[in-house]
Amino acid sequence: MVESELALLHNYLLVGAVIFSIGLVGFLARRNMIVMFLSAEMMLQGVSLSLVAWSRFHNDWGGQVLVIMIIVVAACEAAIALALVLMLFRRAGKLDVAVWQELREANQAAYVDHEVPEEVEPDTQKWPRLTPAGVEPDVDEEEMLHRPHV
Amino acid sequence: MTQSLVSRVTLLAQEESAPSLGQNLTDLAGSATAIFGAMTIMLAIGMWLMLPRGTDRGRRTGMILALIGLGLLGSRLPGLATVLEESVFAVLAIVTVAACAATVSTRNPLYSAVWFGMALLGTAGLFLVQGAQFLGVATVVVYAGAILVTFLFALMLAQPGGHAYYDRISWEASFSAATGAVMVGMLAVTIGNAAETLPVEDSPQAAIAADETLRNGVLSDQHVARLGGQLFSRHLVTVEVAAALLLAALVGAMAIVTQGTRHEPPDKSTGTSPGPDAPLPAAENPANRRSHTGDGGKERARHG
Repeated sequence: MVESELALLHNYLLVGAVIFSIGLVGFLARRNMIVMFLSAEMMLQGVSLSLVAWSRFHNDWGGQVLVIMIIVVAACEAAIALALVLMLFRRAGKLDVAVWQELREANQAAYVDHEVPEEVEPDTQKWPRLTPAGVEPDVDEEEMLHRPHV
Repeated sequence: MTQSLVSRVTLLAQEESAPSLGQNLTDLAGSATAIFGAMTIMLAIGMWLMLPRGTDRGRRTGMILALIGLGLLGSRLPGLATVLEESVFAVLAIVTVAACAATVSTRNPLYSAVWFGMALLGTAGLFLVQGAQFLGVATVVVYAGAILVTFLFALMLAQPGGHAYYDRISWEASFSAATGAVMVGMLAVTIGNAAETLPVEDSPQAAIAADETLRNGVLSDQHVARLGGQLFSRHLVTVEVAAALLLAALVGAMAIVTQGTRHEPPDKSTGTSPGPDAPLPAAENPANRRSHTGDGGKERARHG
């Protein structure tokens, strides 16, 4: 076996493994159904890379034909997954998968959502900064005590 | 590259008649277990920090940690034939992996779709480097449509005003990240071990012979013609099965989308139908659902 071909196979298998694992993390962790769908497609991409590398390593067309099959399956998956996402969104009004936890098994405890802190918009507006002017009036402490708070 | 550096360090150390120190250095830096262990831990922590956790703190730290982990992984990769080939591969691999990580970790599903398109372009480039021209083009053509549709969906179903709460938190981000990192580490060790056991003959004659074989095979000049020939001779049944699968998916998708619209009687008194088109914001609330399906009169009265 020639060393450079072996190195090519090794590198492609590693990149495929990394892409597959990132897709796996996304599918496990994310709650948005659209992002979950994209993660599943990403796992298919990782496997496709490995298959193409094997195809070149063994000098065989079978790997590339299998990748064509993967593309077909991915297209079918896209059609059905997006139809399902649309239906589920119509019913629940949101893309959260946790809404559908009613479908869990009978002996499983319900997932309780913890409070999410509100998103704070960073204040990007440029406000003018005024320099203080004039004479500061004397503060009468007696009056301060009796002044009605408006 | 690392190994050559390490061996040079070892040589230097031996020349200075301190073989034990050099030996220790080699053992520590060169041991695959240490590098892969550190890589796994860094990837896990980096991925966990990058995933949505309800707060944006530590995202940049996570990116840096994940990059260091990937760099450790890359330092173990064997070199390719030429510098040009190696740099093209490195650029494409880095772009693809970074775009994949961004797809998973960004809060906005629209950006997710765009980053995934970037990852697909990188994958198509990697296919082209391997000589799989048809697959590279097909990936771009087929997935461009899929990504566009996904993008439209995300646009259509997006929550107005900031990110939705379910985009800002994850299921068990730490466990998920650890699972992925451990998987990368295990696969890296396995692939490395397997590659070491294969016999390597590194003579120019062998390289020329292998090149000749590839040129008659998968790297042929008539790539698409040869691939098509294989597809419609040896893998003819595959084509038939793929056609059946596509048809079934088409019918299935239509059945899913039209399901439910048939059984909804139109609401004549108000002129609007409480069908699935109307958003039901609290469908999971049982009380709300009862008023929607069972007690139609009350609902109508409240509307009127």
